[in-house]
Amino acid sequence: MLFAILNGLSTGAAVFLVAAGLTFVFGILRVMNFAHGHFFMIGAYVAFSIIGQHTDSTLNYVLVSLLAGAVVAVLGVITDFTVLRRLRNVDHAYMMIATFALLMVASGASKLIWGLDSYSISPPPAFEGGFSLSDTIFIPAFSAFVFGIGVVVFLVLDVVIHRSWVGKIMQSVAHDSWMAGQLGINVPVLYTGAVVLAFFLAGLAGGLLLPNQGLSPGLAFSYLLHAFVAVIIGGLGNIRGAFVASMLMGLIESISLVLLPNVPGLTIYVVMVGFLLWRPQGLFGQGGAH
Amino acid sequence: MSGTRTALFIVIGVLILASAPFWTSQAIVFLIGLTLIDAVFALSWNLLFGFTGLTTFGHAAFFAVGAYATALALRMHAPIHFLVLLAGVALLGAVLSVLVGMVVLRRAAGIALAILTMALGEILHIIIGYSVALGREDGMSGIPRPKLNLFVTNLNLASGNNYYWFLCIVCALVAGALCWLTFGRVGRVLRSIQQDPERTAFLGVNVARYRLLSFTIAGAIAALAGGLYTPWVQTITPDLADTFRSAQPMLNALLGGAQSFWGPVVGTALFALVNFSTRTLAGLSELVVGIVLLLVILIAPTGVMGLLGKLRKKRTEAPAAEPSAPAAPRNSSAPMASADAKLAPVKEGGQ
Repeated sequence: MLFAILNGLSTGAAVFLVAAGLTFVFGILRVMNFAHGHFFMIGAYVAFSIIGQHTDSTLNYVLVSLLAGAVVAVLGVITDFTVLRRLRNVDHAYMMIATFALLMVASGASKLIWGLDSYSISPPPAFEGGFSLSDTIFIPAFSAFVFGIGVVVFLVLDVVIHRSWVGKIMQSVAHDSWMAGQLGINVPVLYTGAVVLAFFLAGLAGGLLLPNQGLSPGLAFSYLLHAFVAVIIGGLGNIRGAFVASMLMGLIESISLVLLPNVPGLTIYVVMVGFLLWRPQGLFGQGGAH
Repeated sequence: MSGTRTALFIVIGVLILASAPFWTSQAIVFLIGLTLIDAVFALSWNLLFGFTGLTTFGHAAFFAVGAYATALALRMHAPIHFLVLLAGVALLGAVLSVLVGMVVLRRAAGIALAILTMALGEILHIIIGYSVALGREDGMSGIPRPKLNLFVTNLNLASGNNYYWFLCIVCALVAGALCWLTFGRVGRVLRSIQQDPERTAFLGVNVARYRLLSFTIAGAIAALAGGLYTPWVQTITPDLADTFRSAQPMLNALLGGAQSFWGPVVGTALFALVNFSTRTLAGLSELVVGIVLLLVILIAPTGVMGLLGKLRKKRTEAPAAEPSAPAAPRNSSAPMASADAKLAPVKEGGQ
């Protein structure tokens, strides 16, 4: 059981890495980006193309992940200019469906470029072992590392959004973009910045989580759904909420795997449906980038 | 557009489709049949999106319920008249969607509604995947086509192209009924709800009840489409309930034009063409479909039908004395699309 909890925290951190960008974009632009999971996957594929199946050193692995983040961020700029910018004043439903179309483009393109095979990637040598708490509980070092990354990314984002000058501006834009524009803030540039940051996070997460779950065309969708659940439960646009909800979800998932081993994957949706009916506004309320 | 012309185009379209087995191969007839079912499915989703203003992402769940219920009944050789079975499937879809709608529509709107319906669809997908009676991930295969007792004669739907013609008739009837509903009193109330729920409520309309009604009809028709699908393909898998399947009617409706009643039918035909011409390369059809959809949303949010409507308007406005200038059908390669394109009542400027 303790193992399940620790494992759940690591899963939760992985989900948070994807959910962070999703909820961030929603907080500022009010766009639910269905394609987020696929850009995460593209990040993973880019990293994979560079380092192959064996990561030789931790430094390379981190650098490659950053590079993957940068590549996806460039894709983010392109997406923003070609699609998101044009749909800013159109009905929400069209934006949602446009991001769904992006999802299909990303999915189709990655299938064409990288094929349908799945690969598994070994973590860098430094994380190959693990440490045992007792005779029965063994924690792979890489899980601990994933959890650590999740926490670090969360803390950085949280400080940037709540304590920094840029974060304050972002909050004001999220709160009332018209008024922010009147006060001389360049709202379109800020929007693009938010998109780029979110895409960068997706690509970075793709590279970093590469050894965590391997690589296959189905990767994007499983993460997308989990991140959606986390974002919804945490309250749309709420980074703190997304973090707490991701952790909760990781826990629910891994504990239910112990308690209900016959139906993996089901509990999380049941929890989400129940939760949405109980509190549609999310755990911590909905807000612009809190 | 006069009623006789509309009727004429419908007759021509039905004749072209019904004669398909005489002028094309068996494989193409099979694909046309699939497209017909998809078109009905897309029409049912568009009743929610285009005419009530509800965006749901889990419509495939109802389709899958219909498909699996029919499969179970046919597998057991239940002594039920096939038409009664189809009606029962539609009723099952209606009951389910009333239950779901009562809970879901009350609590959620906008994005929450989209995600909630998506999650419900995914739950069904997972449950089917684990259910032994429903064949788990492998699905159910070898489902027999039924016999149809027409009192005068016994029509065996398993032989020849009988089921195809049966499919044509039922799909046409369902589409006609939906059309009648959409342009009738109920449809008008629904459209006013889509445009402004608050004002409609102010006029004394029970908005929640009409939304639920729309949700129920859409669910029932989706289940019926599922019921028609099962004997046609004879093999069903849990994929029927997954999110991509739910996205299909959205793509179809948006490509064709969600603001026009026949838009989803046109879109389904076009998508079928794209899929058919890109079937050889994995990922290519997804890429093409995605790009086409993006272009449609960016350039012509009213879809193909919206574009046609604009063209027609320009033409009729230029020579003012010529009221019956025909709109050129852009998609003459799809028989159904070109027949329907002309009789579409296009509503302008919907965004």
